[in-house]
Amino acid sequence: MTISRRDILQGATALGAASAAVWGFAETGKGFYKGLVNEAKATGISAGALPPEYKVDPETGEAVLNPDQRVSYTMCMGCTSVCGIRVRVDKASNDILRVAGNPYSPLSTNPHLPYDTPVKDALTRLSAYEEAGLVGRSTACGRGNAAIAKQASKERILKPLKRVGKRGSGQWKEISWDQLIEETVEGGDLFGEGHVEGLRAIRDLKTPLDPENPEFGPKANQLVVIPPFKNGRLMIAARFAKMAYGTRNFVGHRSYCGLSMRAGYAAMMDNLKKQPHLKPDYRHAKYMLFVGTAPGNAGNPYKLQGTLMGAARDREGVKYAVVDPVLTNAQNHAFGSSNSWVPIRPGTDGALVMGMIRWILENERFDAKFLSQPSPAAAKAAGEASWSNATHLVIDDPEHLLGGRFLRQGMLVEGLEEAAQKTPICLAKGSGELIPAAGSEAELFHEGTVTLADGTTVPVATSLSLLRREATRKTLAEYSADCGVPEERIVSLAQDFTSVGKQAAADCHGGTMHTSGFYTAYAIVMLNTLVGNLNVKGGTTAGGGRFKDVKKGPRYNLLGFPGKVKVKGVDAARGGFSYEKTSEFKRLVAARKNPYPAKAPWHAFTQPMGAQWLLSILEGYPYHAKAVITWSSNPVYGVAGLDAAIKEKIVDPKILPLFISIDPFINETSRYADYIVPDRVFYEAWGWASAWGGVPTRISTARWPVVEPKTAQMPDSRYMDMDNYFIDVAKRMGLPGFGDKAIPDSDGNLHPLHRPEDFWLRAGANVAFDGGAVPESNDEDMIVSGVETIRSLLEKTLKPEEWRRVAYVYNRGGRYEDAKDTYRGEVFARSYKKGMQIWNETVGSTRDSMTGEKFVGCPTWKAPSLANGQPVDDRYPQVEWPFRVVSTKSQMRSSSTGGNPYLDDLKFSNAIALNSEDAEKLSIKTGDWIAVESPGGRITGQALVRKGIATGTIGIEHGYGHKEMGARNHKIGNVVLEGLSTAGAGINSNDLGYADPTCEKAVVLADPVVGSIARQALPAKITRLT
Amino acid sequence: MASRREFLKLALAGSGAVVTTPVAAAKAEEKSKRWGMVVDLRKCIGCQACTVACSVENQVPEGQHRTAVPVYELDGPGGPSQAALPRLCNHCDEPPCIPVCPVNATFKTDQGNVVVDAEQCVACGYCVQACPYEARFINHKTGVADKCTFCIHRTDMGLLPACVETCVGNARVFGDLNDPGSEVRQLIASHETKGLRPEFKTGPNVYYIGLDDKLASTVSVGGGARDLRQTNQSAAHEEA
Repeated sequence: MTISRRDILQGATALGAASAAVWGFAETGKGFYKGLVNEAKATGISAGALPPEYKVDPETGEAVLNPDQRVSYTMCMGCTSVCGIRVRVDKASNDILRVAGNPYSPLSTNPHLPYDTPVKDALTRLSAYEEAGLVGRSTACGRGNAAIAKQASKERILKPLKRVGKRGSGQWKEISWDQLIEETVEGGDLFGEGHVEGLRAIRDLKTPLDPENPEFGPKANQLVVIPPFKNGRLMIAARFAKMAYGTRNFVGHRSYCGLSMRAGYAAMMDNLKKQPHLKPDYRHAKYMLFVGTAPGNAGNPYKLQGTLMGAARDREGVKYAVVDPVLTNAQNHAFGSSNSWVPIRPGTDGALVMGMIRWILENERFDAKFLSQPSPAAAKAAGEASWSNATHLVIDDPEHLLGGRFLRQGMLVEGLEEAAQKTPICLAKGSGELIPAAGSEAELFHEGTVTLADGTTVPVATSLSLLRREATRKTLAEYSADCGVPEERIVSLAQDFTSVGKQAAADCHGGTMHTSGFYTAYAIVMLNTLVGNLNVKGGTTAGGGRFKDVKKGPRYNLLGFPGKVKVKGVDAARGGFSYEKTSEFKRLVAARKNPYPAKAPWHAFTQPMGAQWLLSILEGYPYHAKAVITWSSNPVYGVAGLDAAIKEKIVDPKILPLFISIDPFINETSRYADYIVPDRVFYEAWGWASAWGGVPTRISTARWPVVEPKTAQMPDSRYMDMDNYFIDVAKRMGLPGFGDKAIPDSDGNLHPLHRPEDFWLRAGANVAFDGGAVPESNDEDMIVSGVETIRSLLEKTLKPEEWRRVAYVYNRGGRYEDAKDTYRGEVFARSYKKGMQIWNETVGSTRDSMTGEKFVGCPTWKAPSLANGQPVDDRYPQVEWPFRVVSTKSQMRSSSTGGNPYLDDLKFSNAIALNSEDAEKLSIKTGDWIAVESPGGRITGQALVRKGIATGTIGIEHGYGHKEMGARNHKIGNVVLEGLSTAGAGINSNDLGYADPTCEKAVVLADPVVGSIARQALPAKITRLT
Repeated sequence: MASRREFLKLALAGSGAVVTTPVAAAKAEEKSKRWGMVVDLRKCIGCQACTVACSVENQVPEGQHRTAVPVYELDGPGGPSQAALPRLCNHCDEPPCIPVCPVNATFKTDQGNVVVDAEQCVACGYCVQACPYEARFINHKTGVADKCTFCIHRTDMGLLPACVETCVGNARVFGDLNDPGSEVRQLIASHETKGLRPEFKTGPNVYYIGLDDKLASTVSVGGGARDLRQTNQSAAHEEA
């Protein structure tokens, strides 16, 4: 069965004039069409086209609305970029007709409209009037355009489902909302398989879940909640799970998406907790180096990077290179020799970049003036926009108690005040005296010894010396041999990067998701440090941040409430907790046993490791869970090797007693659920999000229901969705922070939380008032923007002085700082304050829980290896496994686009790309069916023979090979929910992921330092199928 | 629709030709306009926003497109290179599709748009064959010839074509070729531009910046992906 676009949009094109009178417009819908082409002719030429949403007076430029439609600004979620979009809705049918970009949003427009532009004028600015819509165009990408099919999809789940067969069998029945809440809260013999504990019984905040290992925290941690990325709706779920229910197991998806990149940046930017990251200033950079990222082809924000790369290719003197095993649309033929593709062996980017760093250090091509400034004060005096710790001395003995830590003033002199004790030490420039890092320049390179206050002598070295030591471990020839990039090319990349001052920027992303990902990413972003480009126009930016929304703001505090729980304990997959602090470690030491290796890796300074959670709770290391709630997340599809690792255990209710999924669709993870809770798709939902990166001005994007949700309504008229599920569970359990007195305002009065709007509109009030209140919206603007449809909710929920200001923000789809405020002179107005870390002390003083060795605290090159340190290439030698598989990001697909008819129409299947030389050896032609086998799985698909892929590489575009999302039939009661014929086409490279064979407890292969999942550089062999 | 088409076919068979001359409704000021497009290939990222937006806006059936962006992997001395080529009707000055129409259903408006009057079209397919750009097709749903109109229903309302509005790279620029101050004219003046298939001397009104001659002369440049797509489609048909 297929859904045709005609079917989806049926009714949408019908002309109806009925609403015109209601809206008080003079023209009827029919009259609207009496334009320049006479009516009869218009029917013949453009009959099939959608009626335009407005017209513009050619004389005055005034926009005249089509009374049958509305245009509203909200947030897209076709991928994870959360762009501002304008959604055109047919009022009569409630159908979404088409989407494009929100001209106020800097994620969709370059440059975006000044925020005070009246909403009707914005429509003129998008039109052909005076060609304003060319410069001011605001776009949606192909995927964003196609995503409208999601809302009307016949595969949507609109009422609660309960499984009637075995887990994963695809047999369901519809149940009422009340039954859903009752059964999931109270438990019972829910499936005739014995008693199941409900959410109420699991919430025990006092009793340790494992008395032997008290650090695991209370029993309440046995509820594990796995939401999606920061999609703008996360915080109401976090409020439920962490702050009200009290489980520490609430996580994001970063560890299987781009954690290596985030952690590499975090180490360099001295914030391992929040993991900020940088983006090149595409508007002014003169040279850009992309390694394992492909702006314009993928990345985040995907669309904005595409727009800005387009603009960059029209600027004089811009050059860039893309290092990637696969040639993508990040490289552009029409841009000629000013851009180039550098093919590389998968997993070896780190070798290339450490080669570049070696050359830059040896040839003194770094920014010595920048690097010599040891503190913010010194940097300011020197006119630098940032500073680094290049000159800080590090205790250079890994086995010393303080090994890897900075030499600080308190170690040299006793009796200092606390702040002074912490000041790092460097060597005064010229004299070489030991001085606290302060207002003057310091020596860049030094290795020697220092006598501490206790009289002991320790070896020390500057951060930059340690980086040089790591970089010079191998010769350029050796680096070249490791990565397959010629030595001359490594040098020319380094030369280009260091030839334009601070207007050079390097970036990376998901291409680094292999087992040397952390150090690879740290090395790539270190290039930025060596030219001192942070906060500099044409360099890099950490972004402009967001207006306060759920955090304690000028009007409300959505994250603080009476009775809020403070969560405790180790997370479900050993993230952010040091192995040396565990009872297990202490028991082994007490028994005089070698505590290393741990049974599976612990990651002391990373964030919770969501990618490993399902596997670790099924394995019971560190502990088992009693209930899992997934919400719009799909780790089984997205985590390399996870499906094979869990599929036997996840169907066993004795191992995992209760599994609830909240999702508009059935995906590869929710297929195993006991209950499925229907949810809104993004056009129907509430939320607040910011830009993930790349927007240097302050940005908060609003999500609000621009069309009526399709999910079923409850008797009290609420729609069934994620928000209401958590609200109703919390209220039934009597949890704090929900119900009548839940949300404190700035005066300390408590307001109710019974409906999603109670939460999200108040967050909107914070946005509207943060940093100065926006003006109030008049009635007409609400009509133009469609915010009129939620006017009664605004009035009912918010205070009289608030609601029109919040309407002003919704009218514009969010709140956006003006583009003119981007720079202050030659630096970004919103700058990043912490220093650039050549040596990261936390990394450099932490031990690997498997090998017991200390990590190196600066970038280094180590080939991808298994948890025990054995190189992947040793375990899976090239002779037997000649290929390395990479997953490439798609321009059109994301993991959640399965079954989209517009996208299937363009390309319903991916292929297995391989290099033409490799193909020739194996007698493979494009279109041949081939099998790819890895240590973890086997897939079959059609070959795509290219020159644009490195030899020895297999490239597989992500987003295909679904087993659910419309790829198979389900039975709901007596009705068959039919799958779509094209939805399961193609292959998913994650099916080739594998469990690390060197761990006692099963884990999927991951980076040893930070635990990011290895979905790149998977060993493989190819067989031609005849 | 089907019955009407049958009726028209019969009419055609009976009379030899049905000739109706569409009346071009025009006001004085639009006579001065002549629509054209410049596509700056340096800015195209191949994202298919235009492709999908056009399909949605014009309700083009599945499997058919008025515009699309094939992406080619070109091989050269510097190694392979990615070339995206947005394609659409060129709204030619000398459109080969118009003279072959037996019923004058297709014509050029005063503003240069090459359009088809669906009410007149008899779906003979001559125009589809005559177009050197593969820009025309017989619409599965309406049963008659279909093609890009430069979104005449939007431009007449003072709006931009759907593909232009949503072009992520800002590669597609649309405007009045008769206005020396227009963006299209300025781009043409300041850049080397080329049209597709110059050998056909069609006078195309879609101008490309950065077009490689390898792509200019042929629209059927193969490439792995295209071959694969065809194979895939046949495979899918066999399975079905």
